[in-house]
Amino acid sequence: MFTKLPTLTLYQLKSVILLLLVSVSSHAYNNDTNSSNSLSINVLNVNSQPLENMVVYVEPVGHTITHKNVATLEIGQQNKSFMPYISVTQLGNEVAFNNKDNITHHIYSPVGKSKFSIKIRSGQTLVKNNFQQAGEVSMGCNIHDWMSGYMLIVDTPFFAKSDKNGQVEIELNKSGQYKVVVWHPQMNEANNRMSKVINVNDSMSITMQLLNPMDEIPTQKNEDDFDFLSDY
Amino acid sequence: MQKLFILIFLYTSAGLSVFNHANAFEVETVFHGVLDVRATSTDSLTSYTQGGYGKFALDNGETLSLAQAGGEASLIWDNGISAHVVANAYNNDNNFDIGITEAYLKYTGLPNESGYRWQSKLGIFYPRISLENNAYAWASKNTLNSSSMNTWIGEEVRVLGNELTLTRLGKFNKNAFDVSFSLSTFVNNDPSGSLLSWHGWTISNRQTLWTERIKLPAFRARMEGYDLYTQASKSDPFIELDDRVGAHLRAEVKFHKKGALSAGYYNNNAKPYIVEYGQYGWKTRFTHIDLRWLLPKGFVLTSQVLHGDTLMQSPNKQDVVNNDYTSGYMAITKRVKAHRFTARVEKFNVKDNDTTLGDNNTERGKAATLNYTYRLSKPWFISSEFTWIDSYRPARMYTNNPIDLTERQLTLAARYFY
Repeated sequence: MFTKLPTLTLYQLKSVILLLLVSVSSHAYNNDTNSSNSLSINVLNVNSQPLENMVVYVEPVGHTITHKNVATLEIGQQNKSFMPYISVTQLGNEVAFNNKDNITHHIYSPVGKSKFSIKIRSGQTLVKNNFQQAGEVSMGCNIHDWMSGYMLIVDTPFFAKSDKNGQVEIELNKSGQYKVVVWHPQMNEANNRMSKVINVNDSMSITMQLLNPMDEIPTQKNEDDFDFLSDY
Repeated sequence: MQKLFILIFLYTSAGLSVFNHANAFEVETVFHGVLDVRATSTDSLTSYTQGGYGKFALDNGETLSLAQAGGEASLIWDNGISAHVVANAYNNDNNFDIGITEAYLKYTGLPNESGYRWQSKLGIFYPRISLENNAYAWASKNTLNSSSMNTWIGEEVRVLGNELTLTRLGKFNKNAFDVSFSLSTFVNNDPSGSLLSWHGWTISNRQTLWTERIKLPAFRARMEGYDLYTQASKSDPFIELDDRVGAHLRAEVKFHKKGALSAGYYNNNAKPYIVEYGQYGWKTRFTHIDLRWLLPKGFVLTSQVLHGDTLMQSPNKQDVVNNDYTSGYMAITKRVKAHRFTARVEKFNVKDNDTTLGDNNTERGKAATLNYTYRLSKPWFISSEFTWIDSYRPARMYTNNPIDLTERQLTLAARYFY
């Protein structure tokens, strides 16, 4: 279920990070026959300001996409917090939990088919490759209750997180009808999502604006800043 | 009785799928602790730790002391079970003491889909009361000396038993608060209340070791012909005399990013008219209310109040000691980079309700503590602390000391956490 990775040298680590960066930045492939349609999505809050780190994914409607967006997703535990707080990956991909702190973490998710629980020692990376179902995975640490992270598993190769301008670029390799979904665990909408069905036959831009204000995003910080508290 | 606690612990941990975990028996060993060396100038009497009426752990005068060498060893299995032993050593005024202060097994379950989590403890531990002493080896975080309330907890309130805690984590329910309830059932805390009654409230960082006995001060009722002649000269706070189970109940609401409010009730359920080898049973009950609140501009408020009573009777059920007591403190702390400033004020009293001749336990007092701590490096903390105690205690007349007394202590300390 979990694979322990051997300890990496700094050089190896750099190469891995580089590889990850490359694979993350090229998340939308173009290996189908049709021409590429660039879809630009702008995510705005209720006051029309850009929203960063919102998950946007695009699902085909009435047609299928066969290619996969294969990349290992890395979720770090750093400074007793999930880094990043929000992650997104395609169903079937590996997820590498990487503890960068000098203490043990006990990462778990208590809900649904993606339920899991792993203890990760300092410096260790554990790879999990058996997530069975698309959907939201809320994660915590059973030693540090303030830690909170979310992963969204999607069943499409087209996904990204919005940048600081609320912007997401997705390359669609086929014209047709698509459903654009924006997700965030603190989004005040049914199922923490909002969606729009669009017809794509050329490069185009759309705006997704939230109807309600977002809930407060957890700070993932222990309220007690003393470093030598008895955890147990 | 101990078997019952073990059964409760096994039932809760086994029932909660300890043995279904992937790497259930993989174990991690963790060591932590604190070293605390102090140069202290004390203006007081002979310390209460040496059978005097002085309210500090050190006698009157200047001294260099090993105020605490504390260590915790933990074995933590991946199935949620862990074993912990905490030991402490002190070398105050050339009295060296070393021993175990806590030793317990703990089980922490995983939260379920609704965010409910069970935890269980079995062994020797502190009932969860102090908001000050949550650093390694029960050291106080922001001050060198604990408040009078928590100094008493460290001296006379420790149990052998089981603690069950149910926590509801708000983040799984879109609530900005966590709620938890604990119930401890325990034995081995029957003489609790005797030291508080006989030497009064004190202010120090000294914890009583599990097997340690603390010398009582001199007072007339202990002399031949008086009611307490058969009382041993030292109190042994952590023994079992009546085979009755006591309890501690606690409820807490933790408001995310705001603070926490908790309250609890302790009752050792001791038979007050039992005496064995000069150790009496003391029926000791108290309520505590605790608040920790984050104020604007990085100030943190901590405040606790404890109020209760204790009763000790002769074998023919006549009240010998019947006291009500209260202690409360309020502390404000703020950190500015590597500098931390803490101020604490407190008030305490003991109301003596019995008529035993030569044993006046009445006390009224107030105290203030100022602490400045500089964090030299990650593990090293340099502190200076001043404590002032002003109290009225008629019992000091038994040793020809003033009934009204002001005591002061100035300390420079280096603390190393590892």
